[in-house]
Amino acid sequence: MTVARDPSAELLTAERPPAAAVAAGQGRRSIRRTVAYALLIGYSLLMLIPFVWQLITSFKTEPDALRLTVIPQPFTLEGWKTGFLTLDPSIPQLFLNSVIVAGLVTMTNLVLASTAGYAFARLRFPLREVLFLAVLGTLIIPDQLRFVPVYLIERQLGLITRSPVNYIGVVLIIAVEAQQLFLMRQYFLSLPRDLEEAAKIDGAGHVTTFLRIMLPLAGPALAAVSILAFQGAWNGFFWPLLILQSQDHWTLPLGLFSFRSEFRTDWPALMSVTVAAIVPILLMYVFFQKYFVQSVASTGVKG
Amino acid sequence: MAIGVRARPSAGRGIRGERRAEMLTGLAFVFIPLFLYVFLYFGAMVYAGYISLWRWGLRGPRAFLGTQNFENVLSDPIFWKAVSNTAYYVAIWVPLTMALGLFLAVIVNQGIRGQTFFRAAFYFPTLASSAAITVVWIFLLQPEGLFNAARGVVGLNPIFQALGYTDNFNWLGSSRTAMNAIILLNAWTTSGTVMLFYLTFLQQIGRDIYEAASVDGAGNWQTFRHITFPLLRPAHFFVATLLVIGGFKLFDQAIIAGGKGGEPANSLTTIVLFIYRSAITDSEFGYAAAIGVVLFVIVFTLTLVQRRLFGEAPSW
Repeated sequence: MTVARDPSAELLTAERPPAAAVAAGQGRRSIRRTVAYALLIGYSLLMLIPFVWQLITSFKTEPDALRLTVIPQPFTLEGWKTGFLTLDPSIPQLFLNSVIVAGLVTMTNLVLASTAGYAFARLRFPLREVLFLAVLGTLIIPDQLRFVPVYLIERQLGLITRSPVNYIGVVLIIAVEAQQLFLMRQYFLSLPRDLEEAAKIDGAGHVTTFLRIMLPLAGPALAAVSILAFQGAWNGFFWPLLILQSQDHWTLPLGLFSFRSEFRTDWPALMSVTVAAIVPILLMYVFFQKYFVQSVASTGVKG
Repeated sequence: MAIGVRARPSAGRGIRGERRAEMLTGLAFVFIPLFLYVFLYFGAMVYAGYISLWRWGLRGPRAFLGTQNFENVLSDPIFWKAVSNTAYYVAIWVPLTMALGLFLAVIVNQGIRGQTFFRAAFYFPTLASSAAITVVWIFLLQPEGLFNAARGVVGLNPIFQALGYTDNFNWLGSSRTAMNAIILLNAWTTSGTVMLFYLTFLQQIGRDIYEAASVDGAGNWQTFRHITFPLLRPAHFFVATLLVIGGFKLFDQAIIAGGKGGEPANSLTTIVLFIYRSAITDSEFGYAAAIGVVLFVIVFTLTLVQRRLFGEAPSW
């Protein structure tokens, strides 16, 4: 968390205009600017305080957690110890389960969205446009309408079970989302055709052309798909809650849901779990910010 | 001549073979996604309609009920409670989030320095999982939490007392304020995404129209009111549609803050939470499916109404 917090603090000092520059601005314009900056900085603080607060609280004792002090007194790792040792499933176990689910979902989305996206963008086959409309059609079918039948279908398939097969039940539902497929298709459509023509003249087949020429060019789109899929699956609550039967397979959000009623007053421990749930996504955001913003703006759908 | 005769059929076969290869590759590439969609979306939707006509538990005999489930749904007071809770949430949350997001976008778009930082900071709360952020929210809003402590320190308590809230008010524990607390939480976390959408649209508006306005002596508010706001019509439509659809799905925050019962006193029972309860807790899948169908009809109608109000969706 500290690692994640520092870069943003750097950004703030690096990009905020020096006070002198603001003062040098002219009359009304400069007042307007100052007001705007004050509002922006105030709102940014409002955005960041809860996250800082949860980090601080995770290092406090239970009674201290209820006090409005910034520095934990005394500083303690009890909350984290509870999170790692007492909670069942423990933070490492939940973390591992989240990695498994989010990792699998990212892989399936990468493979299936890139191949199908390429086919819809470049290959000619019968009913292509109709099938693509069907892909988009999935976007208007709400989860709340399909969750009863999907649950029953998975039950009949034996995926609602206490064995690790249960993971597949979650992965299947979000294995390839229409927004990812759409994103890949749009990206392939934007690439020039010359390269494929050249490959064709060299006698390369479609699969070879896709793997050797087009896929290496699709880096930014693949990055966006990975981020959206990983974030969506990591943060996902609804489907895992419905599908995952054994607490041995719970992901972090499910752990949080359950602990929140069990450990109602142990806020430091609860906050340690929330920190564990947020940090990986935060790190991804710090390193891949460009792709985050692009992917959200281009698909218009948040994970 | 002889060469031409021999070459032509082989070339023809080559092209046909090439077409075939392309077709097969294409179909193979799209097969798995479409297979999954057929079962998990289109098939599921039809299946939901079918199930909704039956008494359908996990065990025991099933019975065909016809429209009985729908009649039961429509006469169930909890269903109407869930509908009114959800409608209230959508009615407040959507405009509030749009206003916040638009406000942030307009300010960030002022050619201000540090745009990247502010954009990142405002987008920040969107990153956290609904579960983590809701637990943090519960912590902040509990009677001894940061919110109640902070308003005491800042000296706002007299105002809150005048409005009838004690110094240690339990915001999520009172049926009067629980949903409002969830609305604030989600407006806070979603405003960043909405800002991003508005920014994309704002950056497409040409500079010259603003120059013309400033030559005509239009002030900030007038410019916003008469130029920016109307020009953002496609953005309003787009954002409103997304938020209304999203708002009717409210579930995570409600069940985490209020449990399966949507406590206190069903004030956090949303439509989706009610479906979940009917299916998973009560094992009444037919009934749950029927609520899903009703919800689908509601949202679909609303989207059509919205289209009427805001005009056609942008072509992309």
